[in-house]
Amino acid sequence: MIDVLNTYFNLIPVSLAQGGVYAFVALGVMIPFRLLSLPDLTAEGSFPLGGAVAAAMLAGGSGIVPAILAAILAGALAGCLTALIHLAFKVTSLLAGIIVLTMLFSINIRVMGKPNTALFSHDTLFTAFLGPDGGAPLTQFALLAVLLLIVCGALHWFLLTELGLGLRAVGSNQMMARAHGLSTRAFVIAGLGLAGCLAALGGATMSQYQSYADVNMGVGVLVIGLAGTILGEAILGRDSLLRQIAAPVVGSLFYFQFVAMALSLGFKPSDLKLLTGLFVLAALGAPILKARLDKHAGPSRP
Amino acid sequence: MTDAHGQAGVHVSGLRKTFFPGTVQEKAALNGVDLDLAAGEFGIVIGSNGSGKSTTLNAISGELQLDAGKVVVAGQDMSRLPAHKRAHFMARVFQDPMQGTAASLTIEENLAIAARRGSARGFRMGLKRTERDGFRAALEVLGLGLENRLSDRVALLSGGQRQSLTLVMATLKAPPLLLLDEHTAALDPRAAELVLGATLQAVAGRNITTLMITHNMEQAITHGDRLIMMHDGRVILNLDRTEKASVTAADLVARFHDAVSDRMLLN
Repeated sequence: MIDVLNTYFNLIPVSLAQGGVYAFVALGVMIPFRLLSLPDLTAEGSFPLGGAVAAAMLAGGSGIVPAILAAILAGALAGCLTALIHLAFKVTSLLAGIIVLTMLFSINIRVMGKPNTALFSHDTLFTAFLGPDGGAPLTQFALLAVLLLIVCGALHWFLLTELGLGLRAVGSNQMMARAHGLSTRAFVIAGLGLAGCLAALGGATMSQYQSYADVNMGVGVLVIGLAGTILGEAILGRDSLLRQIAAPVVGSLFYFQFVAMALSLGFKPSDLKLLTGLFVLAALGAPILKARLDKHAGPSRP
Repeated sequence: MTDAHGQAGVHVSGLRKTFFPGTVQEKAALNGVDLDLAAGEFGIVIGSNGSGKSTTLNAISGELQLDAGKVVVAGQDMSRLPAHKRAHFMARVFQDPMQGTAASLTIEENLAIAARRGSARGFRMGLKRTERDGFRAALEVLGLGLENRLSDRVALLSGGQRQSLTLVMATLKAPPLLLLDEHTAALDPRAAELVLGATLQAVAGRNITTLMITHNMEQAITHGDRLIMMHDGRVILNLDRTEKASVTAADLVARFHDAVSDRMLLN
């Protein structure tokens, strides 16, 4: 038991840094699922796209800021493409996202010219701010926390503007939105584009964090983002816009604490996807099971 | 003053729509609907289920693609505009109280969206502090206490409260045309009366051309400037204020049966 706690304790800094990296994707997953009420899987492809674009540019000698901006732009295009397929061909957003993420697998290899790119000898976000060794996990986490605060602040500001309010109205009630002059199509395209930006930013951050981009780095990222969002909502609630925005970030940090605990308990890293899936299932199923139990308990007899 | 054939008001002509053409379910919903309302006129549409009342409203609002016909509102041809662009010229209240408001947004956020109907959205704040007094004043009229719940989510409101809010949203910024699709039908009698009263109050003296669908004959006779009866996708009776003054519910039923049997003889 002491061993388990000791192992977990040693994993805390790394798991915080990992949680910080995945928090960007979790934000990108929260937007379609929560703000637009439009389930979308594109993150599974736009996350490695962001990682690939940033890695290819850094490996090609580009600066860090242009590499990250290019990754964000690529993610925006991927998100918009999913929205356009969904709207123009009248396919569900889920299927449109699957088509896009499948196509992105080939594109990501094209972008890097090979299935992976190493960045060990290149400057990254982390070496630029934290020194040649890329910093210790806790300082990495501090850097990520600053970036996350900026991103969340910008997102909060945007969602309070006329356009952001319009986006939330479209996600809540498309009929009402149209009746008040909001183009539901334009907002769905922009919303999924924004989600793509955040997922790709997560990917760009990840490839710099691990100094390595791989075409398979997106596998399971959607469920991780969803788990983070659900966990954060359980902790913070969804009562205000601020809480809704903070939830994926806080949830992602907590999620990786649970990952660290699972690893300390002796689970293998390859077990984590199963555990994450079970967690999401439990979170999705809990309200239904509770309702069923309440119903069976029924009105108390006199 | 502009009359029914002038620029202002609403002019609907030759609306045609067939659902599921070429299939066994083929249904001609609109068979050439002509309808004119002068600026500021309050028209009330009655007719049995399937007579084309709601379809006509959906055609005017742009939710429905027409096979043929023309819709002109405040001098502007609507035919090529999508629904969200037509929102510059018209506001809507739906039969289902859930359809008119965004449940996950607060009362004041819903009102802020309504206050910007017809203007371009940008990166300005979506809800300004200075707007709240106006929102409170607009809600106070209802007497439901909603003016004290500006930051409550709409999901917390009852059907009647939501419908009242939808009406306030629709009339907050006086639209050239107000479309009311049986907006009191899903409410309990007390809420229905409240929403109808608020409707009459909201349009009175503001030159808002209004088209209201109802199933309630008494409502149709008592209120409004014009009474329109639809059947089989056509307007079969169109009474102006003076003609309608002498009409009774029994007359209307009789006229309806006449029209139906005439139609059957003709077919």
